[in-house]
Amino acid sequence: MHVGWGHVALAGAWGALVSLERRAFLQAMFSRPLVAATGMGLLLGQLETGLYLGMVLELFYLGTASLGAALPENDTLAASGTTAAAAMMAWQTGGGGTPAIWSLSLLLFAGLGQLGRAVDHRLEAHASVLSAHGLELAEHGELERAVRQNLWGIWPYALAYLLLNAGCAALGLWIGTFLSHLPLVSLRGLAWAFPAMASVAAAIGARGSHARNAALWGLVGAAVMTGTTLVLAWVRG
Amino acid sequence: MIGPGTHLPRSVKLRVFLRSLLLQASWNPKGMQNLGLVYALYPALERLYTDPEKRREAVQRHLTFFNTHPYVAAAIVGGVLYHEERIAAGEEDPTRVNEFKGALMGPLAALGDGFFWLSLRPAVGALCAALVPWLGAWAAVLFLVLYNVVHFTLRAQLFRMGLQLGDRLVEAVARARLPTRGARLRAVAAASAGAAAAYLAFTFGAQQGGLGGWLMAGGCLALGALSYVLVARKVPTAALTVLAALLAGFLGAWL
Repeated sequence: MHVGWGHVALAGAWGALVSLERRAFLQAMFSRPLVAATGMGLLLGQLETGLYLGMVLELFYLGTASLGAALPENDTLAASGTTAAAAMMAWQTGGGGTPAIWSLSLLLFAGLGQLGRAVDHRLEAHASVLSAHGLELAEHGELERAVRQNLWGIWPYALAYLLLNAGCAALGLWIGTFLSHLPLVSLRGLAWAFPAMASVAAAIGARGSHARNAALWGLVGAAVMTGTTLVLAWVRG
Repeated sequence: MIGPGTHLPRSVKLRVFLRSLLLQASWNPKGMQNLGLVYALYPALERLYTDPEKRREAVQRHLTFFNTHPYVAAAIVGGVLYHEERIAAGEEDPTRVNEFKGALMGPLAALGDGFFWLSLRPAVGALCAALVPWLGAWAAVLFLVLYNVVHFTLRAQLFRMGLQLGDRLVEAVARARLPTRGARLRAVAAASAGAAAAYLAFTFGAQQGGLGGWLMAGGCLALGALSYVLVARKVPTAALTVLAALLAGFLGAWL
């Protein structure tokens, strides 16, 4: 399969769509890391990459919520951008996604959540201008135009996140050209970094669950899974 | 203005409900969801007030500050229609509708945040993340189905309750016992997160093989447990993740 600027554009379009869903329309959770990353992986032909990055980032951002006027880190951009970059890196190496690529993209694009929050903050300022304009129009009796200001808030989001996600994909494409030069020992190290980051993400997730006795429940879950894995390993010899 | 005792047609109520899905499109720090609310209500206000001056007044009274949880806002939107029908029929003073909104938006926001954002979403998210190794992409589909069955059912019910009960919807919402259900869901989230971590660590251990692989798998889990303690002590999560990656990466490289 040939990979190129069409995939970069596709990454931008999906990223814009899920960002809009997160903020402006529906909030049916298409924007959650598990869904946004899986969708990105599927669209870019790297489903496994999307799934495993989505899984880890879902746990990492499990407890984040937009409460009142507080702006949390943008978990959607973190998931869609990181997956777009990882998928393009995987294509550039000529194979499928590997834990080493997933770790590398998680580390290199770790700041996307905070970048998204800064962008959201800027866009809120633009929405304030729309709100003031809406009030002014209503004052002058132009009611339809006043209420339609609500829809004008959507487009800057779409454009900003289209560009950001396409940028992540393009960066991934570029970074991918260097991956084949990495020594095997560093790839092995990066591969082990992935389950370690997943464990930390799960701990952050358990903490962010706000459950009473969250540590105990987390241990119960880990113990049940460990027991099941060991029994299955023993049965299979 | 429509006459006393008459009600908005079902098609208008449906339009208001659908437009309320865009409640946050122009969320802003000053009026918050004010533009979204007036955008949702407009088809009803247009129908209720044929006099341009009355209509302008109605639009302006909903352009004031408004902020609540976007799902439970459906109850308030329904309740606003309940009051606006009566205001248009001359049965109620226009100040009643803003008192209604002001009294409910805070408590309903707390209820919605607690149940949807801090309980249902983490529980379904962690459960489906833990199921990724077995279900693959269907885990994401399952997440959307499980979450949205609850979300859309409650959203539609809340809108209907607001329309039919007006101020009395508070008692009906209280009967749903959402905080109690939320506490159970949070335990599911924590247990699923633990299970997902264990699965990933042991899968990688098995792939690596030998004693070293299993030791590394155990080490990853120990890192997770240590991270839990450190997160509780306010250590930045990004720094923890990078440190864990460096430590495991360094040890794993020389296995």
